[in-house]
Amino acid sequence: MSIEPITGRYVTVDVGGSPRRIYFEEAGEGRPVLCLHTAGADTRQWRHLMNDAEITAAHRLIAFDMPWHGKSLPPEGFQTEEYLLTTEVYIETVLAVVEGLELHRPILAGCSMGGRIALQLAALHAEAFSGFIAIEASDFQPAWYDIDWFHRPDAHGGEMGAALVSANISPYAPEAERWNTLWMFMMSGPGVFRGDLGFYTRDESLIGRLGQIDTAETPVHFLVGAYDLTCTPEDAKRTADQIPGATLAVMDELGHFPMSEHPEGFQPFFVDALARMGSA
Amino acid sequence: MLSTLQSMQAVHNGTPHLLRLGRLFSETVLLRIDGDEFYLTFEKGKLLGIAEGPSRKTPYRFAFVTDAEALWEFWQARPAPGFHDIFGIVKMGRGRIDGDILALVKNLRFFKEFMALARQGSRGA
Repeated sequence: MSIEPITGRYVTVDVGGSPRRIYFEEAGEGRPVLCLHTAGADTRQWRHLMNDAEITAAHRLIAFDMPWHGKSLPPEGFQTEEYLLTTEVYIETVLAVVEGLELHRPILAGCSMGGRIALQLAALHAEAFSGFIAIEASDFQPAWYDIDWFHRPDAHGGEMGAALVSANISPYAPEAERWNTLWMFMMSGPGVFRGDLGFYTRDESLIGRLGQIDTAETPVHFLVGAYDLTCTPEDAKRTADQIPGATLAVMDELGHFPMSEHPEGFQPFFVDALARMGSA
Repeated sequence: MLSTLQSMQAVHNGTPHLLRLGRLFSETVLLRIDGDEFYLTFEKGKLLGIAEGPSRKTPYRFAFVTDAEALWEFWQARPAPGFHDIFGIVKMGRGRIDGDILALVKNLRFFKEFMALARQGSRGA
C-alpha cells in the first residue's frame, strides 16, 4: 500500500461575476508552481511531477481543473450554454485562482492551451508571476481537423477526441501512460474538448502581443516534443524567436502531453526549466 | 502489399477487442498505395475480404491514400516523427483521406489500430 503526497481541495472564486467551484491539487513545499492542463483534460496530467520528490523538495506544485473539466463544475445554467473558452475568461480564471489561493508570484507552467494562456499572461499580467514554462505552446495554429467532430449527438466525442489526440503521443511513451493520458480525453464532458479547441484554434490574439513579453523580468522557457503534430517544434521555435531572451528545448522522444504520456522522459526537461526561472 | 494486408486481416479477425470496437462498422475502405487499390470490406468489425483494384465501380466509405515508403516508415516499431500516425502522414503531405471523413473519425481508434497491425513488434508483425 502507498499513499501519495498529493492533496486535493476546492476553492470558490468569481469569474465573470459568478462563482466557480474549482478543484485543485498540490504537493511539495517552497516556490509555488501553478500548472495548467491541456484542452479536454484535467489535473491528473501533472500527477507524476507532483509525486516526484526531487521536484517537490523545493517547489510547491499546484494544479487546478478549469471549470467544466475534471472535478470543477461548469457554471450554474450550463445546461443551456454552449461552452466556448475565450482568452479573456481563461486569463480571468487563472488570475482568480492565483488570488484565491494567495499565491505570491508563482511560476506558471502550462501545456498546449495552458501554454498558450501562459504566454498571454506573460504579455499582459507578467507582474503576477515570476516565470513561465510554456510546454507545447505556440502563438497560433489553425486546426488541421474539424472541431465540431467532437460534440455531436450521434457519436461519443470523448472517444473520438482520444483517438485524434493519440496522433500527438510519442511511440516512446510507455503503454500504460499513453492510455492513462487518453482516458482523460475519453471522459471529458460533452462539448468541453470542442470548446477548448475553439479557443486554441481560432483565437489569434497572442500573435500581436509576443513583443510585450519581457524576459528580463520574467523568464520564458519553451519545451516542445518532436512527436507533437499539433504544436510542432517549428511552431514553438517560430513563437520563441519572437520573444527576445526566450529559451527552448526540443524533446526528441516526447509528444504533446509530455508530463503525462512519458513522465520519466519529461522529468529532466522540467527540472531544467525550473532551474531557468531565476529567483522568486 | 497484398500479403501484408492479408496477414493484418488474419490478426484483426482474431483480435476480440478490435471486433468489439468495430461492431457497428460495416463499410468498405479503400487503401490506395502507390496507386494500387485495395478494397477492404468490413462487416460488423470483421474484415471479410480484400479485393485488389483498379475498380471504378466499387463504392467505398472513405479512402486512405499514401505511398509504400510512408507505410513502411509507419510500420516501424518506433516511427520517426510524423510517420507515427496516419494523420501525421497526411499532415506531412505524404497521404490523403478521401470520402466520408466523419465515418473515419467516428471509428478512428478502430481504423488506426487496424492500420498499425503490421507495425514491428505488434501482434500483426
